Amino acid sequence: MKPIGQFSKTLVIAAASALVFHAHAADPIKIGVAVGLSGANSTVAPAVVQSSQLAVDEINAAGGILGRKVQLEIVDDASGAVGAQKAYDTLVFQKKVNTVIAMETSAARNAALPIITRGKVPYIYTSFYEGRSCNQWMYVNAWVPEQQVAPVVDYFSKSKNAKTFFLVGNDYAFGRGMLEFTKKYIETKGGKVVGEEYLPIDGSDWTSIVSKIRSVKPDALISATAGGAPNVSLAKQLKGAGLGVPYGNLAIDEGTAKTMGDVATGMYLSASYLGNIDTPENNKFKDSMKTKFGADLKTPNELSVPQYEGIYLYKAAVEKAGSVDPVKVIKALGEVSFNGPRGVVQMNKSRHTPLSMRLGEVQADGTIKILETFTKVDPGEQCPNIK
Amino acid sequence: MILFLDILTTVAILFVVTAGLMMIFGVMKIVNFAHGALLTVGGYAAYVVTQLKLDPWLSWPLALVTGMLAGMVVESLIVRPLYKRPLDAILATWGLGIVMGQLIVIAFGREVQFVDAPIKGTWSIFGVDYSAYRLLLIPVACGLWATMTGLLNGTRFGVKTRAVIMNEDLARGLGIHSGRIRFITFSFGTGLGTLAGALITPLSSVDPNMGLNWLVSAFMLVMVSGHSMASLLVTCLVFGTFQVLVNTFVSPVLGGLAIAVLAAFTLRMRPKGFANG
Repeated sequence: MKPIGQFSKTLVIAAASALVFHAHAADPIKIGVAVGLSGANSTVAPAVVQSSQLAVDEINAAGGILGRKVQLEIVDDASGAVGAQKAYDTLVFQKKVNTVIAMETSAARNAALPIITRGKVPYIYTSFYEGRSCNQWMYVNAWVPEQQVAPVVDYFSKSKNAKTFFLVGNDYAFGRGMLEFTKKYIETKGGKVVGEEYLPIDGSDWTSIVSKIRSVKPDALISATAGGAPNVSLAKQLKGAGLGVPYGNLAIDEGTAKTMGDVATGMYLSASYLGNIDTPENNKFKDSMKTKFGADLKTPNELSVPQYEGIYLYKAAVEKAGSVDPVKVIKALGEVSFNGPRGVVQMNKSRHTPLSMRLGEVQADGTIKILETFTKVDPGEQCPNIK
Repeated sequence: MILFLDILTTVAILFVVTAGLMMIFGVMKIVNFAHGALLTVGGYAAYVVTQLKLDPWLSWPLALVTGMLAGMVVESLIVRPLYKRPLDAILATWGLGIVMGQLIVIAFGREVQFVDAPIKGTWSIFGVDYSAYRLLLIPVACGLWATMTGLLNGTRFGVKTRAVIMNEDLARGLGIHSGRIRFITFSFGTGLGTLAGALITPLSSVDPNMGLNWLVSAFMLVMVSGHSMASLLVTCLVFGTFQVLVNTFVSPVLGGLAIAVLAAFTLRMRPKGFANG
């Protein structure tokens, strides 16, 4: 018995090592996605996961990247900085992903960047944010204030003949940052900011601010609140007060506008992606999403579409570089482009992306009518010190 | 003029939100930290009414009944053994609030929900157009105050309740069933909490945390006002006015702190707060 046992053991080891070798040859390229499956981001996370799955499935069906299959590694970051540190540690050092492509809150992104740097992993950040976050391993394919604010202000001053603006926000980084930029932009365009008011982020009583707006009578109102509750309470209280002033909301997304019903009717918003962008690329994307997910489909949005495009941009960069070598891929990421649902995106401007921005108006039935498209809006010099 | 209306409506909202907490604290000396969660439950009661496509006015009675039923269960299972241990009761009701919040998340999800308001638009009053719903809250708050004062001062139940407040042992000696008084008062208080939740939905977003924002202010107001409805009304008037004035003339960022700071200051200068005149 013994010799045979020995023999079969050898055979098994030989077979196993052959398998290992084989597996290594076709080792999949791993794309890490850290996303808030729990916590505040859990409302958008499912859509982000779905669009990642679609991109990976499409790429695999078409033969993968450089002949290698692509594999998603999805990790929950609990929507916050502490969770993100764990999630990125897991992705970079345990799962050993080749890239991370993910949306994050600003706090979570800042917590994750040192881990990205230590692990030397190309990182595509897919969430809009307040701008000026720079790291040699990071590219951003979503909008920054320079791109989002301009369409709203330009539209108000041109089409609504607005000269005086009132700014309202929540007292935190995004709110203050967005409105500070908005104020500067309005002043360079010759407009005047006649009021600027903030409420604590957990506040829900906009009474006195609404009254101030009423007494100041601005030509237009622009708000940058936290998403969710404060945004909704402000919209409700403005509506309740019956103020007829044109209202641009910098913090609302299409899905929220839809659920808000008549409270949001007539509100203006500016976005790089809106569901009814009528291009072959977007229609094909929406059809594929519908076919793949059917009844479980989460409506694609401003966060899930950059995620989809980010994966394709990574594919293009690896193909251009000819390998997954991080240094080569990082160089290539700034050069490649992808024609996706939002149009052609190329992350070639100071690590950021010139984008086509759409100005939309919420209709009574909850859909968003695209009033004007501003093509190739420049993000400005976000990271002048990174080549 | 607008400032005056802002003050009146803010006071009305504060009173509506605080009344249920007051009812429970005043009679039982128990601080019901689940009050925030009760407000949320009331908001979701209104949401259910919207989802069933019923008349939005029905959200008020539905919220009241839901809260009273919840209060009955909570009183008999959780609060009753803790009357002699008020500090433990704080812990228990705080925990209960967390549990209720999570149950709402499980049942309805985390996202912001939308509720139809019973009335929309504006009314013209003293020459200004002002939110109709906010104006409506002024008579609602007055009605609530009158009902509660009448109940406590003008009925047999009120006499017994006040007897329990003043001296529970003596009241029991006189044959008053203090356990039953507590049971009724607690469920009435929780019912007022959920009713308030439904009442504020047209002004705030409906989400699993909607009640928490109100809890701290409501708590401060009750601490200052002691245990009579009249003093609660006075407290709401003073604090609401102060808050609106700070919001308007200083900054809303500081206005968020106004009630807490003024409450701490008041209790420092006058530990009894506004109680007993």
